[in-house]
Amino acid sequence: MKIVAVTACTAGIAHTYIVAEKIQNAAVEAGHSCKVETQGTIGVQNELTTQEIAEADVVIYAHDIAVRGQERFAGKKIVDIPISVAMKNPKSLIATIEKKLGK
Amino acid sequence: MNLRDILNEDIIDLEVEGKTKDEVLRYMAKGLLDNGYIEDVDQFVKDIYVREAEGPTGMGSHISIPHGKSESVKKIGIAIGKTVNDIPWESGMSDTGFQDTRLIFLFCVSADNEFATNHMLLLSELAGKLGNDARVARLSEAATKEEVISLILCDESELEGTAVTETEEIVDLDIDF
Repeated sequence: MKIVAVTACTAGIAHTYIVAEKIQNAAVEAGHSCKVETQGTIGVQNELTTQEIAEADVVIYAHDIAVRGQERFAGKKIVDIPISVAMKNPKSLIATIEKKLGK
Repeated sequence: MNLRDILNEDIIDLEVEGKTKDEVLRYMAKGLLDNGYIEDVDQFVKDIYVREAEGPTGMGSHISIPHGKSESVKKIGIAIGKTVNDIPWESGMSDTGFQDTRLIFLFCVSADNEFATNHMLLLSELAGKLGNDARVARLSEAATKEEVISLILCDESELEGTAVTETEEIVDLDIDF
């Protein structure tokens, strides 16, 4: 499936980027395509395009502070979790999504 | 500028002394002071604890990533320290809420978000690299400063075949759409 995600941690220095990498790796390892937008101290990087969002089967918010630009994801299936969950269980996160979406 | 440019051997220390989190943080902050990264150890350490209070910075694999976002920072960088002793550290990765830390990546960041954004970009790239389990497993075993640097810089393909000891058990998460 096609996964898009947004990460945003409190300080916006480390966890945002580490978790982005973990989600990305777990998704690709499970055979999915994935793009992760990071919202950190330095602003938005790897910004999701309208097309990527439109094509995505699921959206992951891994965050401790509010995700910016949530209107972009209106009507999408959204998994909303704290950063710590994606930090600890990235593979379980992908596996659980697979199970629940039957993909 | 590239990633290598924010890695500085002078603030990598493979024999960090201290038995507690506070002792090793102060030891490493002193290294940052001596190398012109910060102006004041007390202020910097205080600002690290402001972040620590918001959530655990132990990330498993015996690695911790404290960060000081502080007005005392003059130069952005990352201090890397291998501790002589195992240091009990708050961690969201273990059920006890604590882990034994042996390797510390101490992010040294200005309180001013507009300051040295190119350095901040590189620091975020470096943080991302710590999201790779194989890289982290190898880093926790690194014996020299050169090895630490090359393990941070190397491509994922060069890490293939690394045995990752702390593998994640796949569990059902309580998530909804």
